[in-house]
Amino acid sequence: MEPETINSNMKKIATLSISFILLGVLLFAYRMYNKPHTNVTESDAYEDLSAAQLFDIFDKNEDSAMTIFSDQVIQVSGTLLTKDFSNELEPQILLKTDNESGFIRCGFKPDELQILKQLKDSSNIKVKGICKGINGDDKLTLLEDKDVILSSSIIIE
Amino acid sequence: MKKSTILFLATLSFYAFMNHGGGIYKTNTGNISFYSHTPIEDIRAVNHKVKTAFSSESGQLQFSCLIKDFEFKKALMQEHFNENYMESTTFPKATFNGNIKSIAAIDFSKDGTYTSEVIGKLTIKDVSKEVATTGTFVVSNGVVNAKATFNVNPYDFNVKIPKMVAPKISKSIEISVDSDYTHNH
Repeated sequence: MEPETINSNMKKIATLSISFILLGVLLFAYRMYNKPHTNVTESDAYEDLSAAQLFDIFDKNEDSAMTIFSDQVIQVSGTLLTKDFSNELEPQILLKTDNESGFIRCGFKPDELQILKQLKDSSNIKVKGICKGINGDDKLTLLEDKDVILSSSIIIE
Repeated sequence: MKKSTILFLATLSFYAFMNHGGGIYKTNTGNISFYSHTPIEDIRAVNHKVKTAFSSESGQLQFSCLIKDFEFKKALMQEHFNENYMESTTFPKATFNGNIKSIAAIDFSKDGTYTSEVIGKLTIKDVSKEVATTGTFVVSNGVVNAKATFNVNPYDFNVKIPKMVAPKISKSIEISVDSDYTHNH
């Protein structure tokens, strides 16, 4: 084979290889840019706790609890205190804890509303959701009660 | 004064107070959204679990919300917002502590629409800045809906935005608040 033909073939192979690499990088970037939000239903729970345990962990040491639990999918079991449908964009429920001014507040997608309406106050339930942290601030005198927040929740039991 | 007269006056005062709707108005399901507009990209996020309350006597108004609870359309944006810009594991909350200046002009016992200047300290990433805006308060069947919009510069709150993405993020981010308060007996 002539040296010129070999060079031409090498160039073609190099061009093709670079094109494939570029295509791969673009595809990866596109998939990353459009990656979906965490699917709570399909995710395994990082931890399974009672409402009282979860609140206690956050109440005792928020910094450490945030490092361990924030953005993790967790399962929480407890007694339903009340349902709060005052915000139609995110129906919510409250689970009791051992602290009179501490609750687990679980937010749901609006399409879960019918399931939530069937729940009875004081029943024992298990919820799976993404832990976001503890809301409420001791420095704000009107907002002294605290909620550990779960988002994108689903009812397990 | 006789004991019975004092008791009668105290009861009368209590009922007058209750009918006027005095006390604390509160919600745990308030909405806060923010919007960043640049020619390259628009970014929106919303939080539906905002804890907020005000005193109908002193006018004191407070908010607390979790930064990680802001929902973005794109998961990657939400991830960058929390991990790179807001460092929300270290600084999990944004708070506001301020005053409704014309609280005395709002009659909570009567349906109506009122406006008032609201001034207070907004704290994000442990940095507190004074913000002022005009709030609209709509009293309807005992529920008070409050709406307000104001703008903040992320750089004022120590939000570090890498140079590469800086053109995509506005230096004047619009914050909108929309909450339905009920009387907290």
